[in-house]
Amino acid sequence: MFDIDLQSRTPIYEQLYKRVVAMTVRRELRSGDKLPSVRELAKELGVNPNTVAKAFQMLERDGLINTVPGRGSFISGTNGAAVLKISRENFAKAVTNAYSSGLSEEEMIDEVRVTVTALKEKSSENTDDETGKNINDTGEKGDSEQ
Amino acid sequence: MIKLENVTKKFGDFSALDNVDLMIPKGTSFGLLGSNGAGKSTILRLLSGIYRQTSGNVLIDGENVFDNTEIKKRVFFINDETVQFGTFTLKGLKNYYKGFYPNFSEEIFEELRNTVKLPEDKRIDRFSKGMKRQSVVITGLASGADFLLLDEAFDGLDPTMRIIVKRMLVDAMLDRNLTTVISSHNLKEINEVCDSVALVHQGKVVFNRDLDSVKGNIHKVQAAFAGDKNYEKADFEKYGILHYSRSQSIHYIIMKGSEEEIREKLAEKDPIVLDLIPLSLEEIFIYEMEGLGYDAGQLD
Repeated sequence: MFDIDLQSRTPIYEQLYKRVVAMTVRRELRSGDKLPSVRELAKELGVNPNTVAKAFQMLERDGLINTVPGRGSFISGTNGAAVLKISRENFAKAVTNAYSSGLSEEEMIDEVRVTVTALKEKSSENTDDETGKNINDTGEKGDSEQ
Repeated sequence: MIKLENVTKKFGDFSALDNVDLMIPKGTSFGLLGSNGAGKSTILRLLSGIYRQTSGNVLIDGENVFDNTEIKKRVFFINDETVQFGTFTLKGLKNYYKGFYPNFSEEIFEELRNTVKLPEDKRIDRFSKGMKRQSVVITGLASGADFLLLDEAFDGLDPTMRIIVKRMLVDAMLDRNLTTVISSHNLKEINEVCDSVALVHQGKVVFNRDLDSVKGNIHKVQAAFAGDKNYEKADFEKYGILHYSRSQSIHYIIMKGSEEEIREKLAEKDPIVLDLIPLSLEEIFIYEMEGLGYDAGQLD
């Protein structure tokens, strides 16, 4: 569920952090959902547990998860200020990239419309067959690299 | 905690290690990278008490390692040469190490032995190379040592065994704060397993850094500028570049800094194209070496 690219330039903890944020923003993870433990995640991904713990600490610091000793880590809220802040930052970054690559304001707005329309269609499809919560592997590859 | 202070190790006139300082916090995983003969194994042999340093201190939890039995009971060195197999069977080997390591886990040993299907009563010196390797690895994982040193650890293990070893390391790090020092040529493995890395070259630690900060902090930049601005390498020197080349109107620059920092710095040059391209960890090391004045060709 948290597939990450071990070969990527982006540090593994950062990929994990962004992954959880992205899934929260898209409501694939909802308030109260339990995350796998550091141990489970480190084993599943074949990475150092300190790396996973670092991602969890950052998520906790930014108010995205809530760790209850002995019980685990839980998503704190989907509309939290932290999620919005990160979404805005990511968006600003994407706009900066697009701008410096020569995309005009109008072209960017068009892109936004196309993407949002596609997302809306996808999410209504997902709700139809009730698999919305488990689908997390489509159309989001770009999120961790923006 | 592992600490090397001004450590020099000479063999006759040859300095295998030259004034090395290194600190490895408890509960972390540390990678040693470098070519053959760079000094990686010498560091591990000093840490396991096989060698005595010519000068300086090789400290584990504040105590010098050489001739220190109490410390050695807490260190296991996974290396083909560590175990003098002789006529031992795996059962004999287990009993031998059980006598030395106070926290040796027979349970883990048997579990792993069954997983990799190694015979218990066959002489180890008649094992294949891969089976010998597995024997040492499972002994090390079962030893209960606080410090596990792995020399070219993952080489010679099949993919299944690699996964088993990695998972065992996760448990040991979380359950008993295991510290591992891993030497390797294989950047991919180091990348997945280690918190920090040191690059060893000709007996010196060239650099020593947190892996995450290495990765987020160096970029390959492809940039083009308006035709009237004929920039050259000299125009970029002030940004602390590690490498520069140019092909037609495209400038290729390797420079340190986060994506934001680089974009900010280069904004004053008014680029019309500015792409930041991911660097593989391997490229990062090569350019870091170049930046330090080493010829990247010497790495291998």
